[in-house]
Parts: sequence; C-alpha cells; structure tokens
Amino acid sequence: MSFLDALIDHINYIGAMALFVIGLHTVVTHSNLIKRIMGINIMGTAVFLFFVAIGNVTGGVPPIIDQTNPDAVYINPLPSVLILTGIVVVVSITVYSLSLVIRIYETHGTIDQEEIAKMTSEDRDQ
Amino acid sequence: MNDIIIKSITRLIIPFIQLYGVYIILHGHVSPGGGFAGGAMIGTSLVLYTLVFGIDKSKQKFSHRVSEYAESGGILLYVSLGLIGIVITGSFLTNIEAGFPIGNPGSVLSGGMIPLLMVGIGIKVASTFITLFHTLIEEEVV
Amino acid sequence: MITQLPIINLLLFLGMALIIPLFKKRSFSLTTNLGLGVLFLVWISSIVLLYHVITEGAFYYQLGNYDRMLGIELLINTFSVLFSLFIVSLVIIIYIYSTGDATEGVAEKEYGRYYILLFILLFAMLGILYTNDLFNTYVFMEILSITTVSIISIKRKKENYTAAFRYVMLNEVGSLSYLFGVALLYMITGYTNIELVSEGVQSGWSLYPANILTAIGFMVTGIGIKAAIFPFHIWLPDAHSTAPSSSSAILSAVVVKVYILIMIKILFRVFGIDIIQAVHIPTVLLVIASIGMIMGSIFAIAQTDVKRMLGYSSVAQIGYIVMGIGMVSMLGLQAAFFHIFSHGLMKAALFLSVGAVIYHKKIRNVNEFDGIGFQMPVAMFVFSIAALGMIGVPLTTGFISKLNLGLAALDAGQVVLIVVLIVSGFLNALYYLPIMISAFLKDNKDQQRVMRVEKIPKTMLVPLVVLGGLIIAIGLFPGELLSLLEAAALSLT
Repeated sequence: MSFLDALIDHINYIGAMALFVIGLHTVVTHSNLIKRIMGINIMGTAVFLFFVAIGNVTGGVPPIIDQTNPDAVYINPLPSVLILTGIVVVVSITVYSLSLVIRIYETHGTIDQEEIAKMTSEDRDQ
Repeated sequence: MNDIIIKSITRLIIPFIQLYGVYIILHGHVSPGGGFAGGAMIGTSLVLYTLVFGIDKSKQKFSHRVSEYAESGGILLYVSLGLIGIVITGSFLTNIEAGFPIGNPGSVLSGGMIPLLMVGIGIKVASTFITLFHTLIEEEVV
Repeated sequence: MITQLPIINLLLFLGMALIIPLFKKRSFSLTTNLGLGVLFLVWISSIVLLYHVITEGAFYYQLGNYDRMLGIELLINTFSVLFSLFIVSLVIIIYIYSTGDATEGVAEKEYGRYYILLFILLFAMLGILYTNDLFNTYVFMEILSITTVSIISIKRKKENYTAAFRYVMLNEVGSLSYLFGVALLYMITGYTNIELVSEGVQSGWSLYPANILTAIGFMVTGIGIKAAIFPFHIWLPDAHSTAPSSSSAILSAVVVKVYILIMIKILFRVFGIDIIQAVHIPTVLLVIASIGMIMGSIFAIAQTDVKRMLGYSSVAQIGYIVMGIGMVSMLGLQAAFFHIFSHGLMKAALFLSVGAVIYHKKIRNVNEFDGIGFQMPVAMFVFSIAALGMIGVPLTTGFISKLNLGLAALDAGQVVLIVVLIVSGFLNALYYLPIMISAFLKDNKDQQRVMRVEKIPKTMLVPLVVLGGLIIAIGLFPGELLSLLEAAALSLT
C-alpha cells in the first residue's frame, strides 16, 4: 500500500487530528478571548468528527429500522448518540464562556487577554 | 426593529416552527431528531420572537419564573418516569420490563416511555434556550 | 433495597437542586435546612452502603436493566463508597459553616443559586465515583466543571470573571483531550464500559500499541490539567482564591481530589499496572510530583494574599498524592489515599479558618495577621493545627501521610523521594510558621496583647472545632482508616 493510499484511507483520522491541533493552537496562542472560545469549538468538532468516523460501517445505512429491507447493514449508532451528548456539553460551555466574556468586557473594557493581564498585575501592585 | 414585514412574517411563521418542533420531539424514537433537536427548534422560535418584538414583550409571554418552573419540571418528569422503573423492577429507568407498552415498531405510539422522556427533554431544552438568550440579552453592555 | 441506595443518593442531590428554584419565594432557612436534611440522608445511606460493601462485597447496578455492553453501569465497591462518604462528610461540615458565614461576598439574591450549584456539584462528584463507564465519567466531569466555574464567578467581581474564564478554557482543553482518549479506546475495543475496555486493552496491547499509547497520553494529560498537577496548575491559585471561602474549601479539599480519583481509576482499572509501567507513566508522575512539591511551596512563599498562598500550597500537596500514585505499589496507593483524606481535612480547616478571619476582620494580606490570635482564638487555633499538619508535625494526620509516603518510597527503593519529602516539609514550614507566629506572638498595631474575642456565630465555630478535632483524632488513631483504605486500594485491581 502506497503512502497515498494510506493517506486516503485514514483521511478522517488525519483530519480530526489536524483540527484538534488547530484548535489547541488557537486556544493557547491567541489573546482575543472570543477567538479562544472558537478554538475550543474547533477542538470539540475534531473530537466529534473522530468519534463519528469510528462508528462508520462501509456500505451501511442510517440506523432506522426499515421493515422492507430486513438484512440491511446499519451504521453503529452508539458513537453518534454519545456525540449528541458531547455537542450539548460544548454548546453549554460556549454559552457560559461567552457570557463570561460579556462580563469581562463590562468590567475591564477589553477582551484582549494581554491587556487584562496587564490590568490585573497593576491592580495587584497597588 | 419596527418593520411591518418582519413582524407579520414572524407572527405567521412562529406557529409552524413550533409545530415542527413538537413533531420532531414526538417522532424522536422513530426518526432522526428527538427531544434536544425539537426543543432547540421551539426555543429558537421564542428567540426569534424576542429578536423581533423586543425583550419586554417576550418577557410577558415567557417570563423567567415560567422558564424556571419549566426547566425543573422537565427534569422532574424524566426522574419520576425513571422512579417508576425502580418501584416495579428494581432498576432505574427501566422501559419495557416496567410495563410500558411497546406498541408497533415504527408508529408514534411505540417504544414504551421514550416518547414521554423526549417530551421532558424537549420542555427542558426549549426553556433552557430561551433562558440563556434572555439572560445574555439582558446583560446589556454599558 | 440496599442496592438501590446509590441511585437514590444521586437522585436526592439532583432533586434537591431542582426543588430549590421552585420555592424561591419561601424563606431562605427552609432551603438550607432541607439541604442539610438531604445531606444527612445521603451520609447515612453512604454509611449503610459502606457496611454492605465491606460485609457482602462489591455489586453492579445496571441502569434500565440494559446490558453492560450498551447501557450505563454503576460499580459500587469499597473505593467508590469510601470516597463518596468522605466527600459527603466533608461537605456537611463545610455546608454548616457556609450557612453561618452567609457565603462571604455573594449577593443576597444569589443564595438560592449558590445552593443549586452546590447540590449539582455533589451530584456530579458522586456520579463520577459510582459510574463504571468512561463516557459517563466525561459527562459528569463536564457537569462538575460547569458548576465549579459558576461557583467561582458567582461573586460578580472583576478578578472572579478572569479567573473563571481561565479555568473554563483550560478545563475544556482537558476534558476534550480526555474525550479524545475515550474515542481512541472505543476505536480498538468497541465499548465504553471500564471493565470491557480494560479487557479489550489487555488483549489489544500487542496489536495496537500506538493507539493505546496515544490514548494514555491524551487521558492522563487531560485529567492532569483538571487535577492541577504541576505544570498545569496555573488556573488553580486564581480560581480557588477568588471564590467565596466556603466554596474555596470545597473546591480545594474535594473537587480537585475527584479528578485525581478519576486518574487513579483510569490508570489502575482501565490500563492496568503492566501497561502503565511499560510506557513509563510512573517515572513521569514521580518526576512531575517531585517538581510540583518543591515549586508549589516556593510559589506559595512568594504570595502575600493568604488565600492565594493556600492555593499554591494545594499545588504542592497534590504533588504528594501524585507521588503516592506514581509508586504503583499497594503501599504507595494507600499513602496517596490517606493523603487525599488528610489534605481534604487540613485544607478545609485552613480555608474555613482564614474565611472566618476574612469575614470578620476584612484582611487578606499575610503581613496583617499580627495579633489576630488574641481576637479570634478558635479560628487561629484551628488554623495552627492544620498548618502544623501541613508541615508534618507528629500527632496530626499530615505526619501519618508523610510517614506512609516515606515508607512506600523506601519500599520502592527510591531514597531520592524521601529527600524531596523532607525538603518540601521544610518549605511548608517557611510559609505557614510566620503566620502562626505573627498571629499569636506579635502585638497588634492599635492594641496590646489583650484578649478581645470577636463574636463568631456558633454555626461557624462548631465546624472549625470538628475539623481541628478530626485532624488530631485521625492523626492519633489512623489504624481503622488505614485498613479501610487498604481495602479500597485492593478493590481497584
């Protein structure tokens, strides 16, 4: 199997990993708070993509019982169901951190991490 | 927003969105969708109402008090359905063995208590969506 | 009937949290009394469960009678019951204190919300301990982190928002890493149930080593961020020092420990000793723990805010627990468990006594503690007991846990670790002793060394005295607890 074949066969895993790293990079390096929340969302999407890709069965159909076709091969529904829970969790985390950003903007007047850090260190020196 | 077109269309479209949400909730066990998706639709229709008619009018229709009751009530419904399982078979959230009718697979009245659970989740999700949106919109940036 | 108790415990906490918003209009004391009643019920049922588990052995509980391959399963063994009992008992003490201290700094109309969050927090912690499912652990972990971050930001102050934001970002990175690890394990085993995954991992170790190695890396790093193990500790001091005092006590004494317990579960029950030794996790943990023990204490010395100091001290103490885990021996695990107990008691006592001082004297700076011992003798006395315990003075629980750690280190043949233990104890003394000395031996600026005892509400005094008494009592008679902990360590394998 050539390198290209391996790449194409595992494209979903490679894509998920790449997305995860992009998200992590965004969270760690960007100082804009909204961009960091976006980074968390990208990381979440990467994990969900990976999880759903595991459940795929080649040639499978969506797991809804179809009585006209009793020996259909179904896709594994469990990862999708688990990921539904994961999506809900990430939505709530996003909403919570966005409301925190609103509050931070109210109290600090900025949503830039570096400026906030400067302000807090000045506060502490006083 | 004081646009007559938007207001009329919103008035016209909200019942359909909500009806579709209810449909998705009730068919959660036989087709894709379910409590979360349908509840999110109903919640979104109320968010649309708030966006078009403003927070004050929306508060009259769906106040914090109501949404608090709805949020707690949604989970309490879920928990109490689970308790039936404990009483009858000795295991939390038992479905068919606790005597819920199984019905014909594929019809709406099937799957034991799952449609009822979906209703609980739908109430909870819809009220949570609207509460979150109201809380965010009330915290006006000075 | 007894087998139903775990789910009933969970539902009691959840139900309590759901009921509070329904009678918000009623008097506040009704809420707190009902909450106390619920806590006592769960406490009693935890004791019954502990007795049952010790006499009759562990048992499983299938939710909805689904097979363990599909459904969620609870595993009730000595480990989970003992630690849930520990959590509930400690929270009862802190809860009684919090009703008197009026949850310092929280606005009056937020009280109801504070208790909602507290009960959901308890629900999530007990759920994490009981569950036997990796994905379910993730869900409970997320509930735990959302409630924790809400408690941190409930005070509506500037620094709370930034601390909460940093907490939520890092914790989310941690839990998504954990979820990625779960996905990798699901990929090779096809299950999320811990025991089935463990079987799959043992048989698949030779076939898919890369997968399992990546999974271990993601999971240990993710939980490490959430447990504030040394290089990932940066969120902890801010988050724990800005929260209201009683919730700082809960966060530092209990919540962080829960993440460490998840880590123990993952290392010992999912992967097993053979695999983690093959990938050198113990060495990594020991190095990280040693650095954390020294650096945490050094950071703590540099602090002037007393609550931030306690936060950094937590980082150092987590190092002790991780060191016990890193020895991967029965003795080491037992010592780690004992330190979870003793650090829980001591940190709760420290935060609560400092909270009483902050509540009455409005001082947070370490240098302003001159002569406080004559105005608040009980609070400072309990503070001194707990601080001596942190240093490792005999007659306290801190001494026993250090002794056990030292014995485990000797048993593992790692003499270097004993040196680290001694140095760390010495560093602890460097920042705890000055506070005690200035509180009891120095003169206050505006008054001489005369007893002018401040009135503290009884609900605040009693928990402090109980905590101080427990630190000494367990320090004097550790035998019973140690044998229980040994049983808990045995139930993991």
